[in-house]
Amino acid sequence: MSNIQRGASWLPIAVLTLASLMASAETKKQFHYTLGPHPNVNVFNQFGPVTVKPSDGTQVDVTATLHSDKVEVDATQRGNRLELRTHFLQKADSDQGKVDYEIRVPADTAISIRSATGTISVADLHADLLIEGDAAKIDVKRISDAHVHARSLNGPVNLEDIHNGHVEITSVSGPVTLNKVDGSLVTASTTSGKIVYRGDFSGGGDYAFTNHSGDIEVTLPAEASVDISAVSVSGAVDNDFPFQPTPHSPFPITQGKSLVGTSNSGSSSVRLRSFSGKIRVKKQ
Amino acid sequence: MGKGVSGGGNMNCGEFQESLAYIIDTGGNAKQKEHLKECSVCSDLVSDLRYIADQAKLLVPMLEPSSRVWDGIKTSLEQEGVVKNRTARGRLLGILPASRWGPGTRGSGIWMLPIAALVLVAVGLLAYRSTLSSRQTASAELSSSNSALNFTNVDSDAMSDNQDQQLLAAIAARAPEMRQSYEQDLRNVNAYISDERKSVDTDPDDEDARQALNEAYREKAMLYEIAVQHSQP
Repeated sequence: MSNIQRGASWLPIAVLTLASLMASAETKKQFHYTLGPHPNVNVFNQFGPVTVKPSDGTQVDVTATLHSDKVEVDATQRGNRLELRTHFLQKADSDQGKVDYEIRVPADTAISIRSATGTISVADLHADLLIEGDAAKIDVKRISDAHVHARSLNGPVNLEDIHNGHVEITSVSGPVTLNKVDGSLVTASTTSGKIVYRGDFSGGGDYAFTNHSGDIEVTLPAEASVDISAVSVSGAVDNDFPFQPTPHSPFPITQGKSLVGTSNSGSSSVRLRSFSGKIRVKKQ
Repeated sequence: MGKGVSGGGNMNCGEFQESLAYIIDTGGNAKQKEHLKECSVCSDLVSDLRYIADQAKLLVPMLEPSSRVWDGIKTSLEQEGVVKNRTARGRLLGILPASRWGPGTRGSGIWMLPIAALVLVAVGLLAYRSTLSSRQTASAELSSSNSALNFTNVDSDAMSDNQDQQLLAAIAARAPEMRQSYEQDLRNVNAYISDERKSVDTDPDDEDARQALNEAYREKAMLYEIAVQHSQP
């Protein structure tokens, strides 16, 4: 057998050994708590994803995967509040300090999550959410009758199927995408991130999307009932939706830079403002 | 002139100087004006005092108010909805640990940066709000108040730049790989504040511009808050 052939025959064994060693460095921890109605769960993680889904009963089930023995999870229940905190036992890089959380909670659990880099994913709840991330991707789906506040430095923020919400998104440079999001208040503000909204602006709410240099793209159906104003101070406003003109504009209209109009009864207020980004309003 | 014992007309320097405040405020009566014309000592004195009074007006924004003043500003901003009171926003925001930014937090003074950011927010907002109000006052008051405001903006920018450098140094010490992105974000958000501040200055009645300026300040405060978490051991 040649040296090359001999080396090749050892390769799968080496890979398996390495995988086994890596697996042994991972530790799964499980925690189970019983909380009362409308509980709070707070999660503080530095590196690694946090996923929150509804549970069947009243119990909170937590599975934490620790990627090294340099970290541990401190879980503390105080009354109706559960706090999960990644605790560094010694200096660790982003791989060694990674902890993956999978959490199942009663659907009426108020959640706050802070994670620097991992994806934060929350779905199918009807309680308040506060999510903070640096570069973390934030995904929130199918939430109703709740406050949804997301704060991000440069990670993308994606919200989908949020109904009757009080939604506030703040980001410095991360893009914000809102699909079928409605409620009494829906705001998204970024410095340079792009803001995309696709939906019908229902609920007679106040919708405001603001940024400095990113684009703002809004797509709405013909049946949307909105009273809209859009201004780009040094960028452009591009509209192909057939709005009816508004008799009294709150500001002087400059073709291609600003827009006011209504659609149907104009029950929701929609304000779009960018300093230098392009604003596009499109018919679905 | 005679060392403060004599002067023009029927008035000597002692009599003249007893009414200095009145003279500086009003220019004085006929006798005082005559004395001022003829007495170089008193004339120089009045000239110096007027200069000091003018400079003092400009220096007002530099005075460091007590913590009660900052608390008052914060409360006012919260009441006006410019900044948000976490405990007043329902249980969602109340669930954050109260000690998160408190003095007990580990780290050597870095916990103060969010407070500094809040102060910057207050200073910035007060500056442009004062701009609004000053434009509505009589033209006689306009120039002096605008001078003070310009000074406040310059002072605020200098403070801001100093705080930014401190923040970046703290980030570099704890998470050097993130320094560059924070620096870029700070640059962007500062440009945002600067541009929107100009918009408000150009048209103080532009409600959208004022809202956008609020948002820009909030984004900067948020950036500070999140950055501080990286700066702590």
